[in-house]
Amino acid sequence: MRKMAAVLLASTAAVLCGCHAYQRGEVSQPVPRPSAVLDFATLYGQNCAACHGPDGANGPATDLANPEYLALVDDAGLRKWIGGGMPGTQMPAFAKSSGGMLTDAQVNAIIAGMRKRWSRPGALEGAQPPPYAQTQTGDAKRGAQTYQARCAVCHKQTRDEITNPVYLALVSDQALRTMMIAGSPDIGQPDWRHDSADGKPATPLTDQDINDIIAYLDGLRNASPGFAGTAAEPQSGAPAR
Amino acid sequence: MTNDEHRLTQNQDAPTPTGIPPLNELAKHATSGEDDRVVSRRWLLMKAGIALNGLVGLALAVPVVRYIFAPWRKDSSYESWISLGAVKSFPAGETRLALFKNPFTRSWDGPTDNVACYVRREEADKFQVFAINCAHLGCPVRWFPQSQLFMCPCHGGVYYADGSRASGPPTRGLFTYDWKVVSNELHIDAGQMPTLSNSAKLEKPEIGEGDCTCRG
Amino acid sequence: MPRVNGTGQRIYAWFERRLQLEGPVKEAALHPVPRNTASWWYVFGSAAFTLLFLQIITGILLALIYVPSAAHAWDSLNVLNHQVPLGWYIRALHGWGSNFMVAIVLIHMAQVFLFGAYKFPRELTWILGVFLLLMTLGMAFTGQVLRFDQDAYWGLGIGASIMGRVPFIGGGLVHLLLGGPIIAGATLSRFFTLHVFVIPGLLLLFALTHVWMVLKLGVNEWPMPGRVVRRATYVQEYNKLAHEDGIPFVPGAFWKDLVFSGAVIAAVAVCALIMGPFGPGGQPDPSIIQTVPKPDFFFLWIYAVLSYLPPALETPFILIAPIIGIAILLALPFYAAEGEKSWHRRPVAVLVVSFVAVAWGSFTQLGTVTPWSPHMSAWSADAIPAKFLRGASPLVRQGANVFQDKQCRNCHAVGGRGGQRGPALDDIATRMTPDELRFKVVTGGGNMPAFGKNLSPAEIEALVAFLDTLHPPNQRPAVNPVNEVYTSTHASGGEDVSAAPGAAR
Repeated sequence: MRKMAAVLLASTAAVLCGCHAYQRGEVSQPVPRPSAVLDFATLYGQNCAACHGPDGANGPATDLANPEYLALVDDAGLRKWIGGGMPGTQMPAFAKSSGGMLTDAQVNAIIAGMRKRWSRPGALEGAQPPPYAQTQTGDAKRGAQTYQARCAVCHKQTRDEITNPVYLALVSDQALRTMMIAGSPDIGQPDWRHDSADGKPATPLTDQDINDIIAYLDGLRNASPGFAGTAAEPQSGAPAR
Repeated sequence: MTNDEHRLTQNQDAPTPTGIPPLNELAKHATSGEDDRVVSRRWLLMKAGIALNGLVGLALAVPVVRYIFAPWRKDSSYESWISLGAVKSFPAGETRLALFKNPFTRSWDGPTDNVACYVRREEADKFQVFAINCAHLGCPVRWFPQSQLFMCPCHGGVYYADGSRASGPPTRGLFTYDWKVVSNELHIDAGQMPTLSNSAKLEKPEIGEGDCTCRG
Repeated sequence: MPRVNGTGQRIYAWFERRLQLEGPVKEAALHPVPRNTASWWYVFGSAAFTLLFLQIITGILLALIYVPSAAHAWDSLNVLNHQVPLGWYIRALHGWGSNFMVAIVLIHMAQVFLFGAYKFPRELTWILGVFLLLMTLGMAFTGQVLRFDQDAYWGLGIGASIMGRVPFIGGGLVHLLLGGPIIAGATLSRFFTLHVFVIPGLLLLFALTHVWMVLKLGVNEWPMPGRVVRRATYVQEYNKLAHEDGIPFVPGAFWKDLVFSGAVIAAVAVCALIMGPFGPGGQPDPSIIQTVPKPDFFFLWIYAVLSYLPPALETPFILIAPIIGIAILLALPFYAAEGEKSWHRRPVAVLVVSFVAVAWGSFTQLGTVTPWSPHMSAWSADAIPAKFLRGASPLVRQGANVFQDKQCRNCHAVGGRGGQRGPALDDIATRMTPDELRFKVVTGGGNMPAFGKNLSPAEIEALVAFLDTLHPPNQRPAVNPVNEVYTSTHASGGEDVSAAPGAAR
């Protein structure tokens, strides 16, 4: 048995002498505390990718890889939504102060990473979009007309229907507003300027138009649909079929 | 037997350069004069020696056993009231993770005395404080405010917001700590890892138990 | 006796004169063993013994740096990994040596069992072997604790929770196991004592006694069908076999032991080099709750068993099954001290080994994939496959958001990612109508929590609309033929309305 110990020592020594520079099995870093992770790819991948898509697009939630969106919303706004969640939507709060798991530094790292990866200078091509935050209440009646004139061209089939009262119950006014201004390239939703069905430049939506449409859509909301067949409740005037 | 004989012959045959007989030979001579049938003084003294050692050993065993069993204590001697911080740091209607230093601690405990618990503030003056440990095998449950569930990463135990068992292997709801509010601070009675045995103060949460008719 | 000439031989004689080891060593080395035991099947015991020495040496080397303090153990392991030159390699050797040792001890045991080697007069050798197995497993578990990371911490939590299930004295046992009320400095100190002093001391003592008995009683002969063990005649028959058809143990059989041991150590060295050390994982700070504790490889099967036991059986099983298992192993040589040794005549033994091996393998495999555990970050990390969202209506997209946001994904996989606790939902719409989906979501049941209180009606409708789109393109979603009102939900949620004839209005 002692001989075997000698054999093992010899083999180990032989292996080590020949392979000083060989570091394949060597571990590179101690495992950091979860709160110390500041790498954008890791943070985004663990916290955001599920809904916003692995590359910021093609998820069910807001298209974050949209440069126009990133030009529209400032860091404070992003910090507010990421940290505290977006009321009226499925966007949850991620900051520790709001019951989430991320530190303020991590939220900032996500914001910085989003800007670095997806922002594009001159995304708005010098155009002045309507303000990000809503300042005035719109007129629902006028909104209905604007909707018919500007939105219904595309939003007329079931698959594009946004007047669904249940859908509207799950998106906030701010989310609708963001969508109307910045668009969503991953699903082909144009921004506030390109509202023509044939792709020709048309009159951009004004702040007033957007406020009106939101007021109109707000009137259609139904947060508590009844039990059976509610999705087809013809309240919206545009039932399922 | 044959082996012993063999060894014996070998030893006797062995030429010893210095002429000294091997030691085991000497030993043989020393004992060969004994007669087993006589209870000699030597045997009596040896028995006395064994008895003395037995007595000393027994006397020493008492402090040794006491030393080994020192951690075995009543639950109450480990537990005390500690503050989780200002009441206002727990928003009403929400469940928040809270950390505290375990009251029974030693300087070399390092990070292990950072204990986590969940504070659920149902109403302004109504709390529930849950241990982090799953009632199944003690793994750390995680709170998901979106679905209002606690989930355990080990064997899939799930609990509702009020700590009652929702699904998985746990046989009961989450362990809870006693709480009280003292000068606008939330205090809990804590100090030891809750298990199914030392949970005298960690009773089954009544609220929410059986509230769902469809469980089962 | 060698003639005394030359310095080397004089030195040898000087020591031999005083130690007198030559006789016993020669006797042990040259004792005749049955020719057919010089087999590659008989090398596992010596390999386990060699690995024990590898573990002792690497363990001593690690103890040069390691600090058995809860405050510093994790740091010292990281110093070993990252700062001490080749510290990572010594850790890797010790870790892989441990895995190999457990594996070889288990193989050795299975071989000895199948070859009937536990029968008369080797009962005590087997019994010591059972204790050696338990101590090897004890070393593996306490070693995992000394790798003081999150897995070690929560592994101790599992141990304490099991202790806490002992009736009447459970609470005290928990305190005793942990050395105090919580997992802390005292806990690590006592596991250090167990791992470094108590168990290795006993292990060495038992292993040496075990080897001593193998030398004294002779290596078990190759079992032949029909050659039955009888107390009255066995020793005589064995000696006849060893002397008439025997060879000296060294080198006749020993060279195979040497070669295999060398190969095993080389395998440990290569595994350590290529795959590196185990952990340490995250810091053992219980306030870090983003952790998914998992035991080391050889305890995964227990981890799996614990998740499959019905709750009512759990405590009795955890507390009684190990005692019964050990009692059976200890009683085996007394129950079957005589009789056939050959596996050709012992179908039950072969079946038992096969059954245990298959069960162990299956549970270990399950413990690797943990299909019963929710994936804690699936809800925020696992993206919805783009194909499920192509052309989806706004309501369906919101439903997908609800699906993620409400942690459905933690238990239900979609597109191959997500938890496996519940069924995968890729084609759920072909199996459940919207009505059934809604009912299931609201009320839960089986192993699913009820979500009725935690979802708004709108969220439920959106979620059901999304789930109702989860079907293969060439397969229609399930419909309730007697109640058409539900079908309209399809129409609002389905991506391809015309494909659902039940939705006609």
